[in-house]
Amino acid sequence: MSAEEMGKVANRWRLIFAVSSVVFLIVLAISPARDYLRDWRRYERDYARFAESRPDTKRLLADFRPEIDQIWIPQMQVVDRCTTCHQGITRPTLLDAAVPQPFRAHPPIPHRVREWGCVVCHRGQGLATEVRDAHETTLAWEQPILPVRYIQASCGVCHRAGLAQTPRLERGRQLLVTLNCVGCHRLQGIERPAMVGPNLTNIGTKVSRAWIYKWLKDPRTLTASDGSVLVNGYENEDEPRMPKFQLKPEELRLISGYLSTLASEPIPPYKFDPRVVAAWEKRPDLIDQGETRFRQMFCTTCHSLAVTRAGETKMIGGDIGPELTKVGSKVNPEWLAAWLRNPQSYLPHAEMPRYQWSDQDLYVVAQYIASKLTDPSLLSDVPKLDAPTPDEIVAGRRLFAEKGCSSCHVVIGVAPQTDFGPDLASLGSKTVSQLEFGDSKIPRAPVAYIEAKITNPVSVNAQARMPQYSLAPGDLDALTTALLSMTGKSTTAGLEGLTLTAGHPQFRPGGAFGELYERYKCYVCHRFNGYGGTLAPDLTNEGSRAQKKWIADFLKNPQTLRPTLTFRMPQFNMTDEEVSVLADYLSMAMQTPAVNPAGIDSNQLTPQMASLGKQLYEVKYQCQSCHTIGSAGGYVGPNLTNVGNWINAAWAEEWLKSPQSLAPEAIEPHRDFTDEERTALTAYLMTLKQSSPIHAGGGSGRGQ
Amino acid sequence: MKTKLLIALALILVAGFATSCRQSRAEVKPDPLARAYDSEPDWSDSSKVIPLNYQQAQGKRVFYQYCVWCHADSTPAGPSNRSNLNPNPPLGNDGATLNALSDDFMRNVITLGGAAAGKSAAMPPWGKTLSQDDIDAVIAFYRAIAQPPYQPPARPGPKYSVR
Repeated sequence: MSAEEMGKVANRWRLIFAVSSVVFLIVLAISPARDYLRDWRRYERDYARFAESRPDTKRLLADFRPEIDQIWIPQMQVVDRCTTCHQGITRPTLLDAAVPQPFRAHPPIPHRVREWGCVVCHRGQGLATEVRDAHETTLAWEQPILPVRYIQASCGVCHRAGLAQTPRLERGRQLLVTLNCVGCHRLQGIERPAMVGPNLTNIGTKVSRAWIYKWLKDPRTLTASDGSVLVNGYENEDEPRMPKFQLKPEELRLISGYLSTLASEPIPPYKFDPRVVAAWEKRPDLIDQGETRFRQMFCTTCHSLAVTRAGETKMIGGDIGPELTKVGSKVNPEWLAAWLRNPQSYLPHAEMPRYQWSDQDLYVVAQYIASKLTDPSLLSDVPKLDAPTPDEIVAGRRLFAEKGCSSCHVVIGVAPQTDFGPDLASLGSKTVSQLEFGDSKIPRAPVAYIEAKITNPVSVNAQARMPQYSLAPGDLDALTTALLSMTGKSTTAGLEGLTLTAGHPQFRPGGAFGELYERYKCYVCHRFNGYGGTLAPDLTNEGSRAQKKWIADFLKNPQTLRPTLTFRMPQFNMTDEEVSVLADYLSMAMQTPAVNPAGIDSNQLTPQMASLGKQLYEVKYQCQSCHTIGSAGGYVGPNLTNVGNWINAAWAEEWLKSPQSLAPEAIEPHRDFTDEERTALTAYLMTLKQSSPIHAGGGSGRGQ
Repeated sequence: MKTKLLIALALILVAGFATSCRQSRAEVKPDPLARAYDSEPDWSDSSKVIPLNYQQAQGKRVFYQYCVWCHADSTPAGPSNRSNLNPNPPLGNDGATLNALSDDFMRNVITLGGAAAGKSAAMPPWGKTLSQDDIDAVIAFYRAIAQPPYQPPARPGPKYSVR
């Protein structure tokens, strides 16, 4: 090799070394440069600049360190680095909306950031230090931030009992129960209840095959000509609970054929006194009296009717029972009379009370319902259906099981199905890769998956058996929130002990009262010891609150209380004996230890005290802004015109001490009365008596 | 030949570094309602919806339980008690009246009642019924729904904006 050649080789090597050293230098520089350019460093520098611009710079920068900040709570497995960028999260002075993110303070909540971290509620990736990794679904970091409108789901992970601060979660949990999601799915913390759909064992005696066909096609009883559901005047509560199943005409024909043959234990039709029938058949125009009775009995407290006023159709009435606008075209008149007389003979768990009917009333009300609450064109779009053939019945019965109908409906002889749908007890903790999106166009996010499944199940999976529910937009959010709260077990280990159990034991008294309590279904509207409905006042402490004579008078003639309300206690036509059993029990047994009937000295309730009380009532405390006496006053609280005949003095005095200690939901403010003022007010209230009971109580009062 | 290879290698490295630095920041649609904890329709224009944060939403809950009966024209239970009262209590969204009152003054009226603040005694004291947090939340709710909108008192110091 010549010197020249060697020089060439050396030159080449020199070049190689030169280039590679530059490359190494660049490679070595990448790491510190990238580190310097990291998001969190940029935000920290920004925060320092931002703090400089604020008047309280010193305090804002008091514990500022230009490094990764971490909240570590070993017992909850929390390692959150969110505060690295969200520097101002705990600074009360950075609360207003003008402060740019990510520096804004967290609105005040019951949990402190330093004690709980962020991810426990907001999800996302606490360990990530890049903006995208922390907030979104990326390759290795799957859990995205929970959109804030579902944030109450995180409260529900630990707080199993209801919280006043999380109305959306509570609404969602309530929907999970009323829509009977547990009929098909396993859900966390919701017991499988009795079947929510009606027992269909004898459905063939109640409705025709054509009606079943129409109902299964779309369980909306009131549809406008453009197909829109009109049943929405009263929130969304009037939506039938049965969802829409995607059934083909052939399937509709088979299932309706099968159901129309079900009549294994029919109730015998009621035989009216022939004289009543004869008398009314002579005067068919008197059917209007049936309507009057229907209204007098306050059927609309539980049932709603569509009423058209000024071209606008609205649902008027309650939502405890089904809507009745077209029920006359649905049910068999013989069945109707037997049902009205004794609902429990057809459905043992029916919530409708057993009224005391006279033959005449029963006849006119049944006639009114069967002939006036009708729609002749209701079944006009149903194809002609003959009596089902044996083959149709067998095929219909098979379909009934395949579609999961027996998850909600009892038919004696058909075994109920459990776990018909997928287990959803840990749906809320599933990540994107654990959910089956198939080739659908749904955004790849857990929230989007749940929403799509609820709004239109076939949009996720064309073969889905799940039926179509129609929900108001707010209810969709509520249901999604409740489902997101089901994370299997608490994500924060060691919190299991905090889990609270909801629900009160059923209140089922025995004896003569218990029988009447079941007969009139008091618990459907009233609450007793935490169990029962919320439509009417809680009667847990009724014996301490109301005078026995008042209770008896009220039960005899419930129409007289609260004349301005749409929802009134129905007229049960109770016998005197029944009234005295109920009044005795309510006044003796439904008492609270907080009110001592002997605790008030009636000698103190003198006329002088009463006149002092009147002055306090009218001038110093201006009670008339909320309460009515006679014809003047406000109508937030109950009418006090007859309070002296209604309320026990001991209750009144205890109530004035603190309304919330007797009724936690009371809206009357807790005020600082002196003992003398309280006695004076009680003395005054006890003088307010009305001789005629016609207008006892009254007012559109909320609370007491 | 080799030089070219090395240069190519170096270029690839630099390019890789450059792309990894470029953060793909997909701009999220600025829909304030999607980012809101709760919302309340504007009382004077129901087509407009006002987003609420956590505290304001708690205030909404308290408002609809205790205050709505006298400080709104329609209530969940039907007609309002407002027209029964003299003087008429201000509507909850009455910015023209309430924006001029400081948070401290509102807190005092709610806690101690109207009479203590030289206003009508028909406004009862709520200090023993509601917690301090509840009262602050109600004030935050009033501020959120106020029409004309409420402007918090100006703070000193230069404006700051994020890059």
